[in-house]
Amino acid sequence: MFRFTPYVIKSLWRRRARTLLTVSGAAVALLVFCFVGSVQEGLRRLTEDEHAQRTLIVFQENRFCPTSSRLPHDYADRIRTVPGVADVVPVLVWTNNCRAILDAIVFNGLPVGKLRSARDLQLTSGDWTEFAGRHDAALVGRTVARRHNLAMGEQFSIGEISVRVAGVFESAVPAEENLIYTDLPFLQYTPGMNAAGLVTQHEVHLTDDAEPEAVARAIDQALKAGPVATTTRRKGAFQASVLSDLVDLIGFAHWLGYACVALVLSLVATTTVMSVQDRIREHAVLQTLGLRPARIFRLVIAESLLMCVFGGVLGTIAALALIASGGMAIGAEGVTIAFRPSWQLGAMGIAVSLAVGVLAAIVPAFQAARTQIVSALRNA
Amino acid sequence: MALVEIRNLTKCFRKGDETITPLDNVDLDIESGQFVALMGASGTGKSTLLNLLAGIDRADQGSINVAGTEITRLSRSRLADWRAANLGYIFQTQNLIPVLTAYENVELPLLLLPLSGAERRKRVEVALEAVGLTDRVDHYPRQLSGGQEQRVGIARAIVAHPAIIVADEPTGSLDATTSEQIQVLLGRLNRELGMTMLMVTHDQQVASIGTRCLRLDRGRIIEATPKRHGRQEQPHAMAR
Ligand SMILES: Nc1ncnc2c1ncn2[C@@H]1O[C@H](COP(=O)(O)OP(=O)(O)OP(=O)(O)O)[C@@H](O)[C@H]1O
Ligand SMILES: [Mg+2]
Repeated sequence: MFRFTPYVIKSLWRRRARTLLTVSGAAVALLVFCFVGSVQEGLRRLTEDEHAQRTLIVFQENRFCPTSSRLPHDYADRIRTVPGVADVVPVLVWTNNCRAILDAIVFNGLPVGKLRSARDLQLTSGDWTEFAGRHDAALVGRTVARRHNLAMGEQFSIGEISVRVAGVFESAVPAEENLIYTDLPFLQYTPGMNAAGLVTQHEVHLTDDAEPEAVARAIDQALKAGPVATTTRRKGAFQASVLSDLVDLIGFAHWLGYACVALVLSLVATTTVMSVQDRIREHAVLQTLGLRPARIFRLVIAESLLMCVFGGVLGTIAALALIASGGMAIGAEGVTIAFRPSWQLGAMGIAVSLAVGVLAAIVPAFQAARTQIVSALRNA
Repeated sequence: MALVEIRNLTKCFRKGDETITPLDNVDLDIESGQFVALMGASGTGKSTLLNLLAGIDRADQGSINVAGTEITRLSRSRLADWRAANLGYIFQTQNLIPVLTAYENVELPLLLLPLSGAERRKRVEVALEAVGLTDRVDHYPRQLSGGQEQRVGIARAIVAHPAIIVADEPTGSLDATTSEQIQVLLGRLNRELGMTMLMVTHDQQVASIGTRCLRLDRGRIIEATPKRHGRQEQPHAMAR
């Protein structure tokens, strides 16, 4: 098979304008496809992770934006008494915008001690003592730091909040890297927050044998008598419902991804059909020399595959690079979706290019292989 | 036993309710080493006969046996393999692959055979030497003259040492001088390398380089080898 590789490559190169246009079309389409794929991957991680399934969020009933949910801080003590609850972390959330935006900035205030135990953060710069030592200290997620050029020791203000960067962290949970953590009391007493003694939500960690739904019901039941009614859900379900507008949008983008694949398919198929039609006589000559019809079939497939995979790999690499450069975080109501390059995404991009390359060429390759030699030689 | 034995070969074309039968129960033997020139008026079925012998067209009836292989019974793939190993085809025009150099064009048939790279190189060089084109190996078809292009085509046809070479009006689109050179070349290949050939031509002078001349007329083959060769054979039995 590989003895004919030079022929395949030279054939593509001879029609380089057409080949390059097709390759760049495939690249752009695969870029969009991978990008859409990464948004979905981020969303899936947010709602389906083990952590998202085994953690509960207690929120004020019928509220969505973190600025409108106000729960007494001391609900934590009552929640802790519910069977199945291992730990409770009160969290105050502040975000610059409750609507769906690309540049969401989200502050989470947690008690300093809890932050270390409840979150798995690795500091890439700064240290914990610095964070614990200053009341306005903040730990900044890697993605936020990169986006806003924040480094250790810098002062950072947004709205009423003004913090000093005590460290930058990375996390195994990509969405965490879109957050800025501060001490809970600092955020509660920030002027304009009016949140003394209040938190946005309580995050509940369960014992190993606890059944999440049952514990959630028990918590809502226990707090029923309190001043503020609550709704308790798994973290995954909570995030999905908070992001529900975005989920619809992403579902739509998902179709856009498929449309891109269909577009490459028709683009590559058109190019292949044209190249086969241009070379009816050439294929007849090759058959006369003794190339089997199956070989002609494979040669046509190889040409299409080469264009598609070349373009696809370029597009996939570009998409991964774009995602890795961390240009944005889609978020709404204090929950953000992290984009992160992944092997699965790369493999997916390449698999799609391979499949499209073969699919696009099957019909023209079949036609080329079936060419009747004599009539092809006569008519050309 | 002759190298090529054609028996009761019939080929017809249907156009609507009209049927043309260019070959009607044709019998023909070609001995190894013969250079057969096939002549006849336009539309008598010369190309049709040549294409059937070359295994690129299917007969309606009859048999074609080449060196012991009954090629009418081979599947498309087996027939392709047979052509790769046993047939050299010289086209009239436009027969080279435009994206490949002269060298690569000649090498093409060898890629289908179990030969090492070194062996392929040797054979290609010998073939290009035989047609006198060793100085044009890296040229692309568009950089070659019509005559040079045809010579590359001839080198490609002989490079795999085929049992038989067929040529359909190989000089048909060349000027007189170039045509002359190609005729000399074909005659030499037959005499010096002992290659068996079947060549279709309209030109009596071109036909004269052959060792045997046949005429196709109304579906039948007639021996037409001039007496001066002293090899006049009995007119072929013409079955109906
Ligand atoms: N595919 C086809 N369909 C219908 N008729 C055909 C077809 N191919 C050939 N014919 C007819 O068969 C006859 C023989 O054709 P062929 O090409 O063998 O003639 P030829 O002797 O080679 O002519 P020329 O000297 O002009 O090349 C012609 O009458 C032609 O019209
Ligand atoms: Mg003809």
